[in-house]
Amino acid sequence: MSGGYRQQPGGAGKVTRKDGKRVAGKQAFPPPGSGGSKPEMAPRDLDFIPEMVGGKEAQPAGAHVHDRARTGTTVGKPTALVDSNAKVTGQAWYGDDVRLSNEVIGKILRSPHHYAKIKSIDTSKVEALPGVLAVATGADSPHQFGVLPVTKDEHAMAVEKVRHVGDLVACVAAVDEATAMEALNLFEVEYEVLEPVFDPKKGLEDTDEPIHWRGKYHLARTNVQKRVFQEFGDRSLVEKPLASSHGKWNMAGVHHGFTEPHAVVAHWDPNGRLQLYTPQQVPHYTHRALATVLDVPMHQINVIRTFVGGGFGGKSDPFPHEMCAAILARKSGRPVRITFDREEVYWINRGRHPSHIEVKMTADEDARISGFDIDALIDGGGFASFGHVTSYYNGVLATAPYELGSFHYTGARVWTNKPASGAMRGHGAVNTRCAVEVGLDEMAEQMKVDPIDLRLANLLPPHSRTISGFRITSNGMREALEKVREGSNWDDKFRQMPLGKGIGIGCGFFISGSGLPIHWDPNRFPHATVHIQVDMDGGVTVHTGAADIGQGSTTAVAQVVSEVLALPLEMIHVRSHESDTSPVDLGSYSSRVTFMNANAAIRAALEIREQLLKAAWEILGYHPNNLVLNDRRIYYKHDPAIGVSYLKALHKAQEDKGALIASGAYRSPPMGGVHKGAAAGLAPAYSFSAYVAEVDVDVETGMIKCTNVWAAHDCGKALNPLAVKGQIIGSCHMGLGQVLSEKMVYGRTGHLQNPNLLEYKIPSVHEMPHVEPIIIESCDPEGPFGAKEAGEGPLLPILPAVVNAVYDAIGIRLRDLPLTPDVVFKGIEKGMKAAGVDDPLDLQAPRVEHGSLQPVLVERAAEHKIRDRARQRSEDTDPYVNGVLFGFDPNIPLEDQVEGWRMATEPDPEQLAALGLAGKAWLKKEQRHMGGDE
Amino acid sequence: MMLMPPFTLHHPTSVDQACALAAQLMESGEAFDWVAGGTDLLPNYKWHINTKPHVISLARIDGTSTISAQELGCMVRLSDLTEENGVHPVIVQAASKVASSLIRTNATLGGNLCLDTRCFWYNQGEDWRRSIDWCHKADCGTGADCRVIPNQNTLCVATYQGDIAPTLMVLGATVHLIGPNGARSLPLESFYQLDGMKKNVLEEGEFLLKVTLPDDAANRTGSYQKLRVRDSWDFPEAGVAASWVKGDPSSLVIATTALESIPRCHPEEVASVLEAGWSGSESVKALSTAVQKSVKPVNNTALPPRYRRSMVRVLTKRAVQGLLE
Repeated sequence: MSGGYRQQPGGAGKVTRKDGKRVAGKQAFPPPGSGGSKPEMAPRDLDFIPEMVGGKEAQPAGAHVHDRARTGTTVGKPTALVDSNAKVTGQAWYGDDVRLSNEVIGKILRSPHHYAKIKSIDTSKVEALPGVLAVATGADSPHQFGVLPVTKDEHAMAVEKVRHVGDLVACVAAVDEATAMEALNLFEVEYEVLEPVFDPKKGLEDTDEPIHWRGKYHLARTNVQKRVFQEFGDRSLVEKPLASSHGKWNMAGVHHGFTEPHAVVAHWDPNGRLQLYTPQQVPHYTHRALATVLDVPMHQINVIRTFVGGGFGGKSDPFPHEMCAAILARKSGRPVRITFDREEVYWINRGRHPSHIEVKMTADEDARISGFDIDALIDGGGFASFGHVTSYYNGVLATAPYELGSFHYTGARVWTNKPASGAMRGHGAVNTRCAVEVGLDEMAEQMKVDPIDLRLANLLPPHSRTISGFRITSNGMREALEKVREGSNWDDKFRQMPLGKGIGIGCGFFISGSGLPIHWDPNRFPHATVHIQVDMDGGVTVHTGAADIGQGSTTAVAQVVSEVLALPLEMIHVRSHESDTSPVDLGSYSSRVTFMNANAAIRAALEIREQLLKAAWEILGYHPNNLVLNDRRIYYKHDPAIGVSYLKALHKAQEDKGALIASGAYRSPPMGGVHKGAAAGLAPAYSFSAYVAEVDVDVETGMIKCTNVWAAHDCGKALNPLAVKGQIIGSCHMGLGQVLSEKMVYGRTGHLQNPNLLEYKIPSVHEMPHVEPIIIESCDPEGPFGAKEAGEGPLLPILPAVVNAVYDAIGIRLRDLPLTPDVVFKGIEKGMKAAGVDDPLDLQAPRVEHGSLQPVLVERAAEHKIRDRARQRSEDTDPYVNGVLFGFDPNIPLEDQVEGWRMATEPDPEQLAALGLAGKAWLKKEQRHMGGDE
Repeated sequence: MMLMPPFTLHHPTSVDQACALAAQLMESGEAFDWVAGGTDLLPNYKWHINTKPHVISLARIDGTSTISAQELGCMVRLSDLTEENGVHPVIVQAASKVASSLIRTNATLGGNLCLDTRCFWYNQGEDWRRSIDWCHKADCGTGADCRVIPNQNTLCVATYQGDIAPTLMVLGATVHLIGPNGARSLPLESFYQLDGMKKNVLEEGEFLLKVTLPDDAANRTGSYQKLRVRDSWDFPEAGVAASWVKGDPSSLVIATTALESIPRCHPEEVASVLEAGWSGSESVKALSTAVQKSVKPVNNTALPPRYRRSMVRVLTKRAVQGLLE
């Protein structure tokens, strides 16, 4: 019996062959769920039940509120994604796989100019072409939309101006692709070409014709879309630094490089409702935007999310081509399909912002970080997209994991005549993080201390507050650093390897779900809602709007439901494709899905569980507190022989009411400060990560090969370690692309020179190092079973780890990303000049001899380790705010105990002259303060 | 636009048939292209670059897949250029670095030698090229200027980025061409001809039938060094091939590729170093610098020309390293 118990009632049919096999069609169908092909109940898997509730799973970070819901079914077990069969057999239906009968093909006419006014569009020749069924221009879609409610600056097609090469001008639907392409050549568009802006620095200046006009809120006549100023802490601490670093970074824009190009099919059904099929990360925003643009109520639109062939942030805006398809379909009365070529994918872009980032930082005589001073000028391209948020993230996501004496940030996002930048994996945090981590490396070198010890002695503890007011809950940063140090054999390698071989460290910090649902009040409506329905067959249907973009959110939701109900994963069916059937969900961005959606799913599943246990109570006579839910069976805790099958209990529960239905929702707790922009970067939990990278640098050519990565990521609790490891390795791949080879090249004339996958150089498998994923589980008190995000945070540390490793290999600090061989070689040439050598092979690799601060840091880190453990396990629940390390009392507001403690969101007049590049935006006034309000 | 424009595909089965077909099309004024493996031509067609209404395939012509130490047919697949098949190790080295293994199973030797020249401003989709108002190499009847070096309308500076040509050059290969006007043979070195549009001496209707190598090629040893960002599937950003008879520096031949519109040998640079007397690593240094100085890459590939030029020195040094052993 292998420790299991026979399912009952089960096995009703006894028609079997002599050899014991079943006879097709001859056997009575056993009630599903009562055994099926697995008549034995699996024994409880104690290895995956927490020790606090009687299992064997160790819990070094303490107990969790969901421990009692654990059944040892799937949580914590490496699990293949539930949609993987569809994908590996080619049956997953991606955007371009949707084929509706009678469909026609839509094509988009795109701007050949960087910046121009549209004087007229003559479509008469297009309309006359046989086979053309519908033509649309900007005149058909006057309503503006945009992903953020505060910055709606897009049209389905250009209304007055085109803002970059590739901007949408008009569209046409025709019987086939060849006809549609022929039709594109028949549009007669008269343009008045305007002077384009490419350099974001120029975007700060006044111009005759700003790319967008925001009326009274427009900043003078510049192209600044958003400016940010934030200053916290005691600025006097930075005055006499022991060490300092000042780096000016130039980071190229990068693209997500997902496999599937954008594709959309729009169809107005016989009832006049729009059915729109699109590979979207954020179908709900598309839903809203469609309603606005088409002037149709939301309930008359059904957005169907197809399988998504990679998103990474690049499919999270409502897109103009989605509107075009809907408009063409409405006009033609036929389903319209639009599929992008790769160059169109690059033109719609929404990749990481090209950025100029300047970071100054200082450390005091105790090697405490007395100040971060960050200035980020980011190139937004032609539209706002997520840029409002990006402008904040470039600063505020650098306020942890370190305790800071002060923090100063100026940021500006400018419009330029390039494809729009937007959100990309690690949104807004990646570039600044790289700059900050490299600065720390430089300061460690000046102070003659080990960079890992410098970090370990300056970490914020679990359950603390950052200088900007973010609430940190679980925090596995320390453990992550310790694990990669040990795994990489750091202490035997750092600053000890020969020229050309290097090792470097980098850390990361990222939000686990944006705390603010941007379309509604978080105190009134939930972030995520999940519905569960269990009918007589015993199968569990889960309705969620969570968009699986390959990261495995469907699997995560299925897993948590399976875990709570102790049912095999095959019995959980997640339905998440249609807005008609899915409760509203904000979608897959800001690494929110597992945290918020799985939390909602657990709540719904617990409700179903309660109904099942109540039914079992009625059957067995034992109170639910004494019942155990295990694989398709509920039994008495002290005598497993006394029990009832899941199905029997279910049917009991269904008496009088039929299918069981439950709804669960997740709402984030109130948190954060009240200053302007305080909501940016707020999250119910944060992930932490530390990577060590090893590189080989060919000093004669500047070629870098990353050979090994030890990648530790604190995801709270790995619901599915297989998926977490996949995310870590995938993040390494994507981050390595940005740091070594990927860039959107804008040439002499401002054109994007490499809109294809041959010249946009994503690393191939040959360039991949060996990655050792290390999962850190800090058990977040509010995460589902303790889980936090693992989709974006793991990307952050690889960039600085590689840049620092290159320094360790050749002794040259490089601050132009990507580190293509020509950039490295230029650095090497400079290094040779400085060292007075002719042959790069004569360069010296840097060495370190620890100074007197090193033992101080080691000792402080050891003390902090004890502190952190007690706080992590809630053995110490005293408040801790950023500043305690500097001797401040966490129980008294800092502004009351420190003279000059600032919390400012606008610069003081005397600061204006000293602001950095992006800070110059603060020299300008808004139109309403200039007397004009045009 | 990735929709392939329509064309008529012809499948001659003999050289005579192919030549007759070419002559016939020329006579009726119909433009055509030759296609072998298609890995170069068809991507360009999908981008609507200089497409033709007719395409003649060499795939079914008998005897074009000969492979031996002395003779390589135009239809020999790059993946078949192996030492087991008796191919010279230097050629094998270069062939194994072309594109990806997937492409190498389709791509051919003839196609690689006749590779179209490449340029940032040229290898782009139709919408993209419209946005720069076309370029000299694919001007769509507009007489457009060169976009790499503006205001010179006479020359195309697109870069030849084949890997195998320089190795065949340093082994002394001869190419055999055939067309309606008969057959001719010439050293591979003279096959290439400026500029980036003309590319080589092939006349209309003529195609490259095979390559032969001298008997003494087998006595030569050497190396091919390739510069590229990714070790998989990237075209060369610079390439240097060298060969010599073992222990005899005076036999040294060097050729470069991916730096200009044509690959070429560097006899003068080699001669000037040899004249001064061979002195091992010092000579290598002088030679590397001389070759570096002789090439003039332009800004139309992934890496900047200044860097590519600097790397010629390193690649040359590495290519001739074996001579010092």
